[in-house]
Amino acid sequence: MSETKRSAIDRREFLSVVAASSGAFVFGFWVPERAAAQNAAPEINAWIVISPDDTVTIRIAQTELGQGVWTSNAMMICEELQCDWTKVRPQYASANRDAREKAPEWTLKVMGNGATDPKGGGEPGFGNRDRTGVAGIPDSLYRRMRTNAASSVKDGRYYLQLAGAEARERLLLAAAALWNVPVAELTAKDSIITHTRSGRRTTYGQIADRAARTPHPNPEAITIKSPDQWTLMGTERKNLDVPDKVAGKTVYGIDVRVPGMKWAAVKACPVYGGTVRSYNFDAIRQLPGVRSAMQFPIPDAALTRGRIFSGGVAVIADHWYQAKAAVDRMPIEWDIPQANAAFNSAGMRATLLAALDRPGRVRVDQGNVEDAFARASKVIEATYSTPYLPRARMEPGNATVLVTNDRVDVWIGDQSPQETRFSASKITGIPEENVYVNLCHLGGGFGRNGNGPQAEQAIMIANAHRATPIHLLWTREEDFIGTTYRAAGVARLKAGLDADGWPIALEVRTSMQEDGFGPESSFDVASRYYVPNYRFSNHTTKFHVPVGTRRGIGQAAHEFYRESFMNELAHAAGKDPYRYRRELIARTSLPYKDDMIRALDLAAEMSGWGKPLPRGMARAIALEERGAETNRMATISAMVHTVSISREGKVKLERVDVAHETGFGLVNPLSVKKQIEGQITWFYNDAMHQANTIKDGRIVENNFNAFKLSRIDEDPPEINIRFFETKHWLLGMGHDRATSVQSAIGDAIFQITGKRFRDLPYAGQDLSWS
Amino acid sequence: MPFDLNVNGRRHTIDADPSTPLLWVIRDHLGLTGTKFSCGIGQCGACTLHVDGQPVRSCSVAASTAVGKRITTIEGVSPDGNHPIQIAWKEFDTPQCGYCQSGMIMSALALLQRRADPSDADINASVTNACRCGSYHRVRQAIHFAANLMKNGRR
Repeated sequence: MSETKRSAIDRREFLSVVAASSGAFVFGFWVPERAAAQNAAPEINAWIVISPDDTVTIRIAQTELGQGVWTSNAMMICEELQCDWTKVRPQYASANRDAREKAPEWTLKVMGNGATDPKGGGEPGFGNRDRTGVAGIPDSLYRRMRTNAASSVKDGRYYLQLAGAEARERLLLAAAALWNVPVAELTAKDSIITHTRSGRRTTYGQIADRAARTPHPNPEAITIKSPDQWTLMGTERKNLDVPDKVAGKTVYGIDVRVPGMKWAAVKACPVYGGTVRSYNFDAIRQLPGVRSAMQFPIPDAALTRGRIFSGGVAVIADHWYQAKAAVDRMPIEWDIPQANAAFNSAGMRATLLAALDRPGRVRVDQGNVEDAFARASKVIEATYSTPYLPRARMEPGNATVLVTNDRVDVWIGDQSPQETRFSASKITGIPEENVYVNLCHLGGGFGRNGNGPQAEQAIMIANAHRATPIHLLWTREEDFIGTTYRAAGVARLKAGLDADGWPIALEVRTSMQEDGFGPESSFDVASRYYVPNYRFSNHTTKFHVPVGTRRGIGQAAHEFYRESFMNELAHAAGKDPYRYRRELIARTSLPYKDDMIRALDLAAEMSGWGKPLPRGMARAIALEERGAETNRMATISAMVHTVSISREGKVKLERVDVAHETGFGLVNPLSVKKQIEGQITWFYNDAMHQANTIKDGRIVENNFNAFKLSRIDEDPPEINIRFFETKHWLLGMGHDRATSVQSAIGDAIFQITGKRFRDLPYAGQDLSWS
Repeated sequence: MPFDLNVNGRRHTIDADPSTPLLWVIRDHLGLTGTKFSCGIGQCGACTLHVDGQPVRSCSVAASTAVGKRITTIEGVSPDGNHPIQIAWKEFDTPQCGYCQSGMIMSALALLQRRADPSDADINASVTNACRCGSYHRVRQAIHFAANLMKNGRR
C-alpha cells in the first residue's frame, strides 16, 4: 500500500471521529473520503457530483469571503448543466486533489482573447505559474485554486461553463444509450431529461451513475453558451450560504474543533524583524489550563513572498482564553533590530516626499513636458498622501494544524491553499502530497486573508507538538502585527493649462514603499485624460513594514490622486468637473473612451448633476477604471457622491449614484451590487477614518478603539446602482470600485468650506465653515 | 468552581473560572460558535448576545455576571433559522462574509423587541456593530422589513 493511500484511510477514520463530535463542524470544508463512504454519489466530473435524490454538489475551488463565489461559481457551472437550482449545494474542492490530478484536457484549450472570443467567453489570466504555489500549479485539476485580484468570475467562467456542459452532455448520452434513441432527440431542463417522441423521462439523479461511466467521445467539440443564451447567469441569485450565515451555522476557521485540540495564543515581536531574546515560562506554568510554551522564529521569507514578519512566543493551553491570559502575563524580552525601531511615521513621510524632488524611474514620457510647462498660462501643482492601511478583517488570523509523522492537516480560511500546502511541507519536511488544507469560510479577506503568517506560525507550533491538533488564534492586536499593509504613498501632480484651461502638460510623480502593489496603476502607458505632453515616474523606498495586496491595491491610492487633481484642474479652469472630464476623455484615443464617457454621463444624469443643492451640500464625480489603457479586458464605472457638511464640520455621505458597466454580462448582478455597496463603505473608511501610524518601528493603532470602523449611522441613506451594457469581458469588480469616495469627499469639503485637504484620512481636520 | 448558566433555554454546568469572559464560555465550553470573537474589547459587537433580553458584548463581561439570567445566542433565535429577523436578513441577502452578522442580528433583535417600529435614528443609535464588508445598507432595510413581519404577527 502506498503512503498516499494509507494516509487516505487514516484520514477517513480521523474525519469520521470529527464528524461524530460535531455535525455543524463538518459542513464547512471538503471531506472527500467521508462523502464517498457515506453516500457514494456518482462524480460526473471533478466539479459535479449528483446524488440519486437529485442533489447536485458543486465543488468550488475558490474561497468564500463574502464576495459570493460559492454562488457565482455554481451559477457558471449550472447554467450549462441545466439542473434544478434549488437542489444545488456548494462544497469546497480538495486542494490536495487539485495538486494531485491534472486538469481534464478539454479545459486546457481555452479559446478566446478577451474582447474577441468567438464563443463569447473570457480568457483566464493565470499569470506566472510559479511552483511555490503563489500563482497556482501548472494545469492542476481545478485550474486555479486561489482567490485573488477580483478574478474568480473572469478567470473561471470559461472552464466552469465547460465543466457544466461536459456533464450535461454525458448525462444526455447515458440516457440516449439507455433508451437506444439518438441523443439529439433529448432535452435537458431542471435536472429532467425528456424524450418527447416516446414520452420517456428520467432525472439526473437516476441517470448519474450511468453518466459517470459514460465518457464523452469528443469533449473538444463541446461549446458553451454565449451571454445571449444565458438563463441562470445574469439573473439575481441570493447567495447559497446566506441561510447558514443568519443562523450562526457557517464554519469559519475560528470555529474549527478537532478532538484533542489545544489552543495557542501568541505574541510576536511588535517591531518587524524582531525575535525573542528570552521568555519566562516558569512565571505562568501554574496558571489554569496551561500546557507548554515555545518560541518560534521569523517565518521563512521564502514562504511569505519575501516579507519579513517577526519571531514570537506561543503559549498552548486547554482553552484559548487560558492561553491568552497566560501569554499576556509571561515576561518576554525581545531582540529588536535598531534600524527597524528607528522608523517613525513623520520621518517615513519626509523620506517619501523628498524622493519626489529627485528624478525617479520614468515609466511614460510623451511629448515634451518642459517645453509645454514653459508656455502654459497657468501651472497647478498639488501633493497628496495616503497612509499605511491594513485589512482589519473581522475574523482575526487563525489556523488549526495537526502534524503527525507522515501527514499534515490544516483547517483554515485561506485564499491561497496551495501556498499553505507548500509552507506546511517545507516547515515539517513531510511531502506535499501528504499535506491537506481543508478550506473554511473567511470572515473577510480583502487580500489573501491578510497576507499574514498565521498558517506558518500555526504549522511551526503544531510541528513541535506532533499528534496534537493546535488551533492558533490571534488577538486583534496580534492581527494588526500579522497582517500586511497597503504601502503608504505620496504623489505630486503638476499640470500646465492653456489659456482656455485645458491641460497641455501633466507630470505625475509617485513615491511609495518598495514592494507595494500597483505602483504603476492608473498612470501607466497613457494619461486617462487627454494631455499632449505627459510624464509619469515613480520612486520606491525601503521601509520595514510588510506590504501586500490589500483591497484596491495601489490603484485605490492612485485614483484618489488622479481624480482629486482633475477636480482641482477643473476648478482652476472655471469648468464643470463632469464636463471637463468628459471632454478630456473624448479627446483621447483610448480603446474604452466611449464606455468611460457613458459611465460619466449616466452617473451625472442619475445624480441630477447641475441641479442646485442647499448650502452645505455638494456633488462630486469621479471615474473608476482598470485596464482602460488596454484594448483587452477592463472594468469601468463612474460615481457621483452627494455630500453634506454641517457648520460644525460633520461630514455625511448622503447619496451615491453608481454607473457600472456589464461587460458581456454580469454573472450574479445581486453580488455585484453588494460588492459595490461594500466598497463604498470600504473607501469611505479610507477617506474619512483609517490610517496606521508607526512609532519606534511599531504599528500604533492596533485595535478598533484607535483604528476606527464606520458604523451604520455613516452609511449613505441612498445608493442607486445602474448597469450599462458594454461589449468586452470585465477584469473584475471586487476590489477597486468606489475608490471615488476618497476624491469626492475631498472635493465636497473644498466646495462647501473652501478648504482643500490632500492627505487622507480627512477626519481630524477642521472641516467647519460659516 | 463550577457554576450554572441558562443558555437558549437550557441549563449548563460550566467548569471554568467564573471570571472568564462570557464569550469564551459560550464558544469553548458550550461549543456555540455562532457568537464571534473579533476585537476583544467590546468595540465591534461581533460577540453580541442577549442577557435577560439586553444586548451584551460578551467578550468584555465575566461569565459570572450572567449567572441566574437568561442568555440567548444566535443559535437560540429560532430552531429553524426562520425567525422574522432571519427571514428579513435572507430576503435582502444581507450578509457578505457574514462574520459580524450574528452580533448584528442580536443587536437588531434587541432593538425590535424594545421598539416595534424603529426609526432610522433608532437603528443608528442601537445597532452599533461594525461590519467590514459594508453590509450596512441591507442591514437597515432588513431591520425595517423584519419590523413589518413581526408587527404582522409572524412571531
